[in-house]
Amino acid sequence: MKQKLFALFVIATLFLSACGATAGGGGSTQGPIKIGGGFALTGAESSLDLPAANGAKLAVKEINAAGGVLGRQIDFIVHDTKYDMSVTAQVAKQFVEQDKVVAVVGFTDSDSVLASGPTIQSAGLPFIIAGATSPKLPAQIGDMLFFACFGDNVQAAVGAEYGFKNYGKTAYLLWDKGVEYTTLLGGYFKSRFTELGGTLALEDTYEDNATDFSAQIAKVKALPQQPDFYFISAMPYNVGPVVKQFRDAGLTGPIIGGDGYDTPDILSVAGPASENVFFTTHALMDTTGGTEGIKKFIAAYNKEYGHDPENAFAALGYDSVYLLADAIKRAGSTDAQAIKKALEATSNFPGITGAITLGADAHIPRKGVTMIAIKDGKFTLGAELVPEKVPAP
Amino acid sequence: MSPQAQGPIWERAAGPLVAVLALVILLALLQVTGLAFWQGLVINLGIFLILVLSLNLSNGFTGVFSLGHIGFMALGAYASAILTLPLREKQEYLPNLPAWMAGIHFDFRVGSFPLGFLVATVIAAFLVSLVALLVGLVLMRLSGHFVAVATLGFLVIVRVLLFNADNLTRGSRTFSNVTPYTNLWWVWAWALLTIYIVWRIKRSPFGRAMFAQREDRWAAQSIGIEVMSPRLLAFVVSAFFTAVAGSLYAHFITSFSPTVFYFDLTFKVITMLVVGGMGSVSGSVVGTVLVVGLTEVLRRIEDPSQLYGMSGIVLAILFILIIIFRREGLLGQREIALDRWFMKGGGTGSEQQITNAE
Repeated sequence: MKQKLFALFVIATLFLSACGATAGGGGSTQGPIKIGGGFALTGAESSLDLPAANGAKLAVKEINAAGGVLGRQIDFIVHDTKYDMSVTAQVAKQFVEQDKVVAVVGFTDSDSVLASGPTIQSAGLPFIIAGATSPKLPAQIGDMLFFACFGDNVQAAVGAEYGFKNYGKTAYLLWDKGVEYTTLLGGYFKSRFTELGGTLALEDTYEDNATDFSAQIAKVKALPQQPDFYFISAMPYNVGPVVKQFRDAGLTGPIIGGDGYDTPDILSVAGPASENVFFTTHALMDTTGGTEGIKKFIAAYNKEYGHDPENAFAALGYDSVYLLADAIKRAGSTDAQAIKKALEATSNFPGITGAITLGADAHIPRKGVTMIAIKDGKFTLGAELVPEKVPAP
Repeated sequence: MSPQAQGPIWERAAGPLVAVLALVILLALLQVTGLAFWQGLVINLGIFLILVLSLNLSNGFTGVFSLGHIGFMALGAYASAILTLPLREKQEYLPNLPAWMAGIHFDFRVGSFPLGFLVATVIAAFLVSLVALLVGLVLMRLSGHFVAVATLGFLVIVRVLLFNADNLTRGSRTFSNVTPYTNLWWVWAWALLTIYIVWRIKRSPFGRAMFAQREDRWAAQSIGIEVMSPRLLAFVVSAFFTAVAGSLYAHFITSFSPTVFYFDLTFKVITMLVVGGMGSVSGSVVGTVLVVGLTEVLRRIEDPSQLYGMSGIVLAILFILIIIFRREGLLGQREIALDRWFMKGGGTGSEQQITNAE
């Protein structure tokens, strides 16, 4: 008897989850426009995805307050993927089949895009990536994928050119070999730097969960002559310790990195060691040093959530929703192919993270890159740069 | 352990056959509706079922608590994915494969049946079983806490190996573009096979030896029951099916990296195992269905209520409650005896009189 009760309970549980399935969407020309928001709000990627989701929700709120798009309000359906790839794949199917969205926005990492992309592509829906930067994704997923951010080959090229022009022809390259993003970033840097004529005095790697970098530092110190600068491709959780240990060992040369450095941890962990550190990112989130658009965004974010945006990914989430809304407006409808054509025709869209221009063969925007210099324990604007040449993905 | 039902074979087989038939009808209905979301959920359920049953065979039957089984899943996933990757993708994504491997591509079909997928899965699982045999010869001498820690070490070793063998596995970079062969039928065919084999092992002399030395290793040895062979058999067979689950998972999710096969997944599977009952095949089914269903229900509640992370907390509380109040799990070592459903008088005894080994 007990076993039958258990069986009944189990079946009831499954049916309950069936009840959660929303009914079929409203007519495609009336009623709210449904947009899906896929973010890893819990899990290891949440420090980037949560601000992105907040930025996106803020954008939806502002657009709706101004009358919506094509006279219709946006219904922004956010699902937490928990940074679990099976759940991410399921969430993509949920967006397509149950929520019946017209487009999907989200994600700041390439793995989640790879897990959810195929489903959204075969459903023929536009998919705007907020912050994943691997330039191989459009070829891997398909033509419905669009980026609101630049690709890693772009930011690595900027880092290589900046280092070459300002500091010199010899560099040291160190990267985290446990993560795809840092491995690819290091590879693109090496490719562009050697193309410019620079030479790598030394290349080295470390484990993703490393806390002690003395082995790598010892090899650098053993070099007969210190290189002109150090390019360290690191994840946000390693950046602070790496920079601090390098400085503590007496290596005071300039350190250049990618958008993994865009975290408050680098200042709190490395402290004064973070002087003379430069990194490429999507925007400078600063009320004094940032652009007008950024300042307005910071104020609005503060008003909505009670604190400053944590990092530039909040601004990227904001931009990806506005980019999509702009495309829907220009397309004049929510038809997927019309939105796709409108996205491909985007020219100098005034995103707060930079002007976005897309094309039929360029789903990753040719965007400006913000080079941030850390001075006096603060992020300051180093330069706004566009790379002269970009390594192939 | 419940006594085996006595009676003519057609009466004993009727119950399970009806259950299998019901499952086939359900799957066919699901397939026809074309709802990828529900199909995905049922596929996930099937893959977890294979994982939990395999872990039950190793941990529940023999009492040897292995924390490293997901290492076998990882090896199975990578091995089968490398084998089925078509030639063109192999050259593009794995350019540094050794020459003899670069030519192998099990992506052939017989008609529309992907025979290559089956061959690759079996070969991968077989290779992983060999690894399990070697590892088991060493580790199955340990018991209790020691084997738990040692197998955890195995899990970490597998992960580091996969990260560093980047000519074969692309290292930290996502292994993608795997052909999505997995569907409802593959998963549940393998799941039914796993249920059948684990069930038969439980009812066999080997199975009884496993349960005997689970309770008290010294008492079992003192009356002549071998400890090493049953343990090793359980370890190797469970590694085989865990690797099969890995292959099914790889060809379902189509892109993965070594980080997927680590502690998170290990603890999910252990939760399902403990909730269902360590030592009970039907317990594994119940536990898996319950946890997967509950996770999905909670996820549906999380999103609108914005209580993100709640599902993890609820499952953890459920786990703790089970450990405190019902340590043996929901079903303990008892079974839902399908083979008695159609028997007059319930075979040698009705369900209520199943002897409890606890």
